Amino acid sequence: MNDPGARLVLAVAAAFGLVIAAYLTAVHYRGGVPVCAGGGCEVVQRSRYAELFGVPVALLGTLVFTTLLVSAVLRAPVVVAGAAAVALAGVAFAAYLVYVQVVVLDAICVWCVASDALSVVVAAAAWQRLRHTLA
Amino acid sequence: MRFAADARLCGADHAAGVSRNSRRTLIAVVATAATVAATLIAVSAVQGDSPQRSSTEPTLRVQQELFAGIPQQGIVLGSPAAPVTLVEFADLQCPYCSEFARVALPTLVQDYVRTGRAKLVFQGLAFLGPDSRTALRAVLAAGLQNRAWNVLDGLYGRQGAENGGWVTRRLLREVAGDVRGLDVRRMLRQSTSPSVTRLIRDADRFAREGGVHGTPTFFVGRSGGPLQRVQLTSLSAEALRPALDAALAG
Repeated sequence: MNDPGARLVLAVAAAFGLVIAAYLTAVHYRGGVPVCAGGGCEVVQRSRYAELFGVPVALLGTLVFTTLLVSAVLRAPVVVAGAAAVALAGVAFAAYLVYVQVVVLDAICVWCVASDALSVVVAAAAWQRLRHTLA
Repeated sequence: MRFAADARLCGADHAAGVSRNSRRTLIAVVATAATVAATLIAVSAVQGDSPQRSSTEPTLRVQQELFAGIPQQGIVLGSPAAPVTLVEFADLQCPYCSEFARVALPTLVQDYVRTGRAKLVFQGLAFLGPDSRTALRAVLAAGLQNRAWNVLDGLYGRQGAENGGWVTRRLLREVAGDVRGLDVRRMLRQSTSPSVTRLIRDADRFAREGGVHGTPTFFVGRSGGPLQRVQLTSLSAEALRPALDAALAG
């Protein structure tokens, strides 16, 4: 994948991720329950794992996807490297959250899984971009 | 010719330098990402192992913290070496049992269990109907992970209309998800296990032998010795205190 292609994938995936994370953040602060297939969203969103340092994980996701979306329009190597680091950290944490849903809580939040899947796409695109920049 | 060779050499050196720099950058990016991710996961895991911060269930949170640091073994709460044993026969759908858990249990736990003077034994009955059975099985399955009292308390805190179908799988997941160190999936799986069935039969047998016809019913005595039924005058800790103190003195 060339750099424009990676940037496009990064931007689109980050935009979708941002929408999901922003929705979950709004639901969190409104105190409601996400519209959810399977009924696992409420369990996951109200679990202890839904916050980190007292901050909703959904809000952290919103910030991460926003950062990556902005990085997609910038070309500075330091930005590309920083975005790749953020994206890789994000995908590792997303994998942990999938583990929590499946093994610890035994409840699947489809919005979270969608966000986690987008994290994989975003990380792949950010990594590809970094390699292209360094080539 | 020599210049060309030098130029090629310089080009190779430059390419090798770029390659080394690239590799260093890639390693730095991966290392940074790994450090950040490991930190986030560690914090989340530690948080996950601590009592839940909840804005909607303050009472429940306090109750869950009530058991923190107190040993549990199966259906027993408290030190195995405690000199006095208090046995409670209860039904998860019984409103009086719920009230007792809310009103009296915290005081009893603080004054007698946490101090190592008494241990509480939960003997679950399910005579009120299907929701009682489902809830009881979950509590006993949590007991297989030594978390019975946490789930018991969580279910009392969310007690619904009798046999109104309130003990759903979702509710059990929510309640169990609040309990530190409890494997929710394992609890749900083991709720139908022979071990749990055996515990239910044991409690039924003890209830028959003790002439228990209603809940909550309490028995108190020296650990390992005969237990005496306590006639409650109210659902408060004070109603049990004389019997507990007498057993401790004996």
